[in-house]
Amino acid sequence: MTETALTQDFLGFGLGLRTNHFDHVLNTRPDIDWFEVLSENYMVAGGKPRYYLESIAEQYPIVMHGVSMSIGSTDPLDMEYLTALKKLANDVQPKWISDHICWTSIHDVNSHDLLPLPYTEETINHVAERVRTVQDFLGRRILLENVSSYLSYKDSTMDEWTFLNAVAEQADCLVLLDINNIYVSARNHHFDPVTYLNKIEPKRVQQFHLAGHSDYGDYVIDTHDHDVPDSVWDLYGTALERFGAVSTMIERDGNIPEFSGLEQELNIARDIAIKTLPGLQTHLDGLNKNSNRNVFDGKS
Amino acid sequence: MASLKQTQELFMAYILSDKSTDNAQDDKCSAFTSLITAKSDEDGQTRLGIYASAYRLRLIETIETDHEMLGIYLGDELFDKMAQEYINAHPSSYRSLRHFCDALPPFLQDDAFFSQYPILSHIAAFERRLLNAFDAEEQSRASFSELEQLAPEHWPESRFRFHSSVQIFKCQSNAVESWQALKNQQTPPQPDYSIACAWLLWRGEERLTEFISLTEYQLVLLEGFLQGQSLAQQCELMLNYFDEEQAPTKVLQAIRAWFEMGIIRAIA
Ligand SMILES: [Fe+2]
Repeated sequence: MTETALTQDFLGFGLGLRTNHFDHVLNTRPDIDWFEVLSENYMVAGGKPRYYLESIAEQYPIVMHGVSMSIGSTDPLDMEYLTALKKLANDVQPKWISDHICWTSIHDVNSHDLLPLPYTEETINHVAERVRTVQDFLGRRILLENVSSYLSYKDSTMDEWTFLNAVAEQADCLVLLDINNIYVSARNHHFDPVTYLNKIEPKRVQQFHLAGHSDYGDYVIDTHDHDVPDSVWDLYGTALERFGAVSTMIERDGNIPEFSGLEQELNIARDIAIKTLPGLQTHLDGLNKNSNRNVFDGKS
Repeated sequence: MASLKQTQELFMAYILSDKSTDNAQDDKCSAFTSLITAKSDEDGQTRLGIYASAYRLRLIETIETDHEMLGIYLGDELFDKMAQEYINAHPSSYRSLRHFCDALPPFLQDDAFFSQYPILSHIAAFERRLLNAFDAEEQSRASFSELEQLAPEHWPESRFRFHSSVQIFKCQSNAVESWQALKNQQTPPQPDYSIACAWLLWRGEERLTEFISLTEYQLVLLEGFLQGQSLAQQCELMLNYFDEEQAPTKVLQAIRAWFEMGIIRAIA
């Protein structure tokens, strides 16, 4: 195991903020270390979402997660989108901003999906240059997240992890590892997810996503609408051993349960992390003291 | 080897092609299929199909969510026909799905089949207005006492700025009544194209979207104020509907109600 890197960027255990939990979060102030918000949901002029976001951001650390930067597209970067993103970041003051290493649109037609890229030198150069432009514009490093995929290209000349490392290095950006997406892609493309984790450069990994999927046997679809399954929990333990304490969150996009259901999953994540990482409990107690909130329920 | 750009163009063409009717689909499919790794043709089709059906499904869900009552009005079969044809005619060109159905009312109005039932386009347009009211920017609201505090000599020249959620919806049918019936899980009335209706939609202070019907004079009054007419001008306009004594009273009643509804943002 590598030494536990308890960096100042370790936020603890968070949840994706979803509209049906707005009132619950505001009214009961649950013991969650931080929330991740979907940037696009708050780029509307106003109304309910912004009202809730601003109230919740006063009480919790927030990170912003986007789905439509289309960083791998061969269309020009969407400066209107980036301007709106920067403005939102200015208003919300997130700890960091992330999007996906994929493409979503071409010739202004949007797939609303996270489409895979061919893993080639051409793509590395193309994506890295665009990431640098975005980072210069936003005035901060961004995190890129690995996506689930169902197809691979004959043109690819390297593994996904080699590609991800190379883009991150060349662009000097950070990495958000979605443990579920690694599992899903590993099953669909027949590689070993542990190899993936062991090949990723630890120094750039800033956040983990945990989620569930739909297993159809021959193919696994990343639906993000189930509880985190054992296969993903196992892989999470392996990831902690390699990367140390990395801000972790449960990402649920569909079939969203009661808030308490997500809290239970987050407790599982916390328990696994405390078991895997000596010293984490002490560190979390420190976080807890600073924020004046009780992160632990005392059972661990 | 395909360039990144060619790869993306072929992938998108594959996603957009309608697998059920598109004759050109074989070319589009094989052009992209040749770029991906697959154990067999069937394996390749399955992998691509995951992306193609996800695209359609996502858009169908958006239409269903944004136009729930229209969907019920149409029934499953016609809804599916509309959704597939709209998706084929309007590849999603917006970053946000929020705008995907913006062109649905004109689509229904112009389509050879659906234009036979004009009320469909009216229901769709009404549902778009509801969404606009819901998403509009939050702004502070003025109260009637601010107007009362104005010196009487400033009243005639007073104008009003309205909350950004304010929407007027006009149609020549009972589309809104039909929408309401479906919302209340009742059978909608037969389409009736004999009456012109006008509705005011807005989002109240409790952040709920609301709407009320407008009589002809209320519509004229509101539209005038929305266009920036002054209180004096609007009182004069009301002489088309009321006598000299009644007109100012009617105007004041309406304004007081608008303040209470929270649709006036400021007095100018
Ligand atoms: Fe994720």
